[in-house]
This record gives sequence, C-alpha cells and structure tokens, in this order.
Amino acid sequence: MEWSLFTIIFWLIAGVASFYFSLGNARVWTSIAVGFFLILLCEVIPTAMPYLPGVDMPQVEAMGYIIGTISILVMSHGFQEYYVFSRTLEFEGNKLGVYLATLGVIAASLVFILINPVPDAATLRVIRIVENTNWVFLSLINIDLIRKIHFNVKDSPISNGFVAFMVVFVFFFLWRGSELYIQVYDLAAHTAEFPVRYRLSVMVSDVANLLSGLSVAGTFFYLARLLR
Amino acid sequence: MILLPKGNPVKENLDPGKVILPEALIKLQVGRFTGYLRFDTQEGAGILIFRQGQMISALFEAAALRVVGDEAIARIFAQSLAGGALLNIYRLSHDLAMSIHALLHGHVLYRGQELKLIDIKALLGRCRDERINGCLRLYTDERIALIFYRDGSPLGFFHDGSTDIETTADTSMSVARLPGAKLDVLTMEGTEEGELSDLLESIEVKGIWEREVENRAAQKKNRQHEDKRSRQEQEKVYREKVVAHLSETAERHIGKIGASLVEKELEKVAGPVAPLTPPLLMQFFEQLNKAARLVAGPAKVTEMIGEMKKGLRGLKGS
Repeated sequence: MEWSLFTIIFWLIAGVASFYFSLGNARVWTSIAVGFFLILLCEVIPTAMPYLPGVDMPQVEAMGYIIGTISILVMSHGFQEYYVFSRTLEFEGNKLGVYLATLGVIAASLVFILINPVPDAATLRVIRIVENTNWVFLSLINIDLIRKIHFNVKDSPISNGFVAFMVVFVFFFLWRGSELYIQVYDLAAHTAEFPVRYRLSVMVSDVANLLSGLSVAGTFFYLARLLR
Repeated sequence: MILLPKGNPVKENLDPGKVILPEALIKLQVGRFTGYLRFDTQEGAGILIFRQGQMISALFEAAALRVVGDEAIARIFAQSLAGGALLNIYRLSHDLAMSIHALLHGHVLYRGQELKLIDIKALLGRCRDERINGCLRLYTDERIALIFYRDGSPLGFFHDGSTDIETTADTSMSVARLPGAKLDVLTMEGTEEGELSDLLESIEVKGIWEREVENRAAQKKNRQHEDKRSRQEQEKVYREKVVAHLSETAERHIGKIGASLVEKELEKVAGPVAPLTPPLLMQFFEQLNKAARLVAGPAKVTEMIGEMKKGLRGLKGS
C-alpha cells in the first residue's frame, strides 16, 4: 500500500486548510496554524526530493528536518499563548509579526546550514533525531496544555476543537515516537534481529503519519465550522 | 398670610435673590424712604416697614411661624437667597406707615368673617361702643382695603394704590361689595413714635446677610454633594445591572469565559467604578467583539452583542 501518496495528499489539504485558517481568524490562532502549515513543508521536502532534479542535496534535506523542528516549536508556542489568554484574557502581538518571526527563524536556520560543512548522513541522522525528540516530548506537553485550555474554555463554541487537537497530538506522538524509536536503536540496521519491532514501528509511524495529516485537516475544517 | 393693601408701587416683582439686600436697605435709609417692602417667599411672607429711612418693623410670617426683629430679617434673607421669592416695594405716607406697623403688631379680634353672613352695622356699633383702636380689613383674593378706627370712630381708608389714609370710602367699600369678600377685625396698641428704634442701627443687618450667604453656600455645597452621591449611587446600581446583563448574555452565548471577558473588557474601558456612558459602552462592544472571536465565530459574536445591546435598551427604559 502506498502510504506516502495518501499521506502527502492529506498533509497538502491540512497545510492549505491551516494556512487559510491562519489568515481568516484571530491573531491567537496564527502561531498554531502556521506551525501546522510548516508540517506540510517538512513532509513535502523529503518526499519531493527524488522527483525534483537538482534539489537532492543534504542541505535541502537538513532544512526539511529543521523546518519540522520549527513547526512543532511554533505550534507549541501558539498553544502556550492560547493557554495564557484562557487564564488571563490578555493577548498581544499581531499576525504579521508571527509570519515574519517564523520566516526569520527559517532564514537564520538556512544561513546556519549554509555556513557550516555539508551535512553527511550522520549529521542528518542527528538533526532528524533532534526533530523527532522535540516532536515527541512537545506532543506530550501540548496534550496536557490543550487539556488545560479545554478546561478553561469548556462551554465555549471552540472547546470541542481542543479535544480534536488532543487527538491530533496523540497521533503526532505515535508517529514521531515510533520514528524516534527506530532511529535511536537504529532498528533499520537490525531488522534481522528485531523484525517484529521494526515492522510494528514502521507501521505505527506510517499509519499515525497518515492519521495525523487526516486529523489536522479535519480539525481545521471543524474549527472553521465552529468559528463561523 | 399677611394681608396688606398695595401702596404706591416703587418696584414690583423683583427677585430678591439677585439683590444684595443690605446695600438696598442702606439705599432706602439714605433716601429717607417711607413705606414697606413685601417679600413673598416659598415659606411665607416678610414685611419690612420704613419711616423716614428708619426700618421700624420687621416681620416674617409662615403657616406656623411668626417672628419679628433680627429673626425676621434673617428669615427674609434666607428665603430670598433660597430663590423663588418676589419683592415688592410700596411707598406710603408717614401716618400710614405707622398705622401699618401698629396693625401688624396688633391683635386679631375676628378673622375671615364672610361679609354677607355678618351684621356689619352691629359690628361697627360695637367698635364705637368699645372705643376700639384698630382696623377693619376687607379683602378678596385680589383686592384689600383697610378702614382705620381711633377710639371707635373711623379715621380713614387705605386701599390698593393709595399712599395715604383717605377720607373717601368709595374704593374701600367697593371691596366689600365684591363676591366672597371677607372681613378681619384687628385691634392695635398705639405706638409712640419716640419708642421706635431704627432696626438698621440696632441690628447687624450686614452680619446677618453674610451669615445667611454662608449658610446658603454651605447648603448648596451639601446639596451638590448629596446630588453627586445620589447620582453615583444610581450609576452604581445601573452599572451592576448592566454588568449582570452583559455577563449573563455572554455566558449563555460563549460560556463562562464570555462572562470573564465582559468583566475584563469593561474594566479596561471604564475602570472599576466609572459610569457606563454610551461612548464607553460602544468602545466596550468593539473590544469584546475582538476578544470574543478568540473563542467563537463572528456570527455567534454578532448575535451575542446584538442581544446585549437590545437588553441595554430595555435597562435604560426601566
């Protein structure tokens, strides 16, 4: 079964939905929506590389992973902002600031990659592990943070949207957690010794990746409906 | 009610609250004025009688009050400063001024007798027999006439517009023929002119005036303070009603966070106690519109704010 095709389609829908959502809604959603949109980039870049001549470079692959890391950091920052708002009812900043700050961080990361030696396979593996580690632990933290937000806005129209986000982060945790497991123990190199673990981890990763894309797209459509 | 005929009007329908009365009284003293000043106030009527520039009598009469001298002057000043009073100044002859003075300080023998119900001839005969010094006061709601008696014999007549005691009875007796005419019989004790002192000299009129002005200012300040307190109390009650309505509506539409947003935004635009004026409320709705969109969609927020505004119109009307 060609998981990656469906996965990319879902991420494409999720990315467009989240970016469109970030434009049409209040500032508080900007960081969250931009963070989810960046997943599209970090998913598309590695998938598209084999099909795009001239971009099969380690720097491009590294940037894909780094954007993945930035993605979870930005959306976590967004949920933190929403949590602070739900507790204090105070909010500041503007959308343009979020867009520019995110672009700034991406640009700075690119400069960092370009001024350093070309990343080899080991470096790329480390960068990938750093990305997945961030995803795994921030997913757990975000599930707890979103639970608290849901409690604070319990009977408001948006409250069920946060339940959907909790489901999304459970899929994220499974997706990135199983990838991290494979990477940390280098199970790909030990498939003969641990075939079940490896296949199970790959399957969980693929299914959770697919469900992540699906749930992100669904969540943003659901949010758009709640915030009509 | 002090019933006196109008003499020769010098000034009529003045507002004594706009006159510095001690200065006006000094002018009358310097001008050797003879006549009386009548103050019709909201509480009662005051009379100041002048003879040759001397204030020989001060009287203030209300429903259950009759004061003379400095107390009467203080009342007249206080009531004049309170506003809504009228001052009329009438010139009289020397004799008439003295008679009026004696009359005001005399005794009432009969009051408010319906003329058509009494035997006027028998009454006049009794005055003559008892050698009464006094006067018969004939009056209707509009007109008054006095007939002065000395030792039981008619001395003369005084009616609206006359400055002296007249000897012809026509005008005075015409009052008696008017429908609803009434009669008072007043006796007066003769007053020796030498016994009368000038109240402007014996009483510290300027001091009384200044005290009343101060009292008036203090009363005004107190009243303003009371008004302000009452207004603040009303505004507080209105604010509580508004906050309750807005919070309840917000909670119904967007949950408990809606009620918290209402309190927060109200505090931002109007502080904790400021009155909720229409411009502040408009500003509040703008802010709430932005804040509420973090937890609800535009349609829901618009519906909520519309219901809030509708409810506020109802609160204003109540």
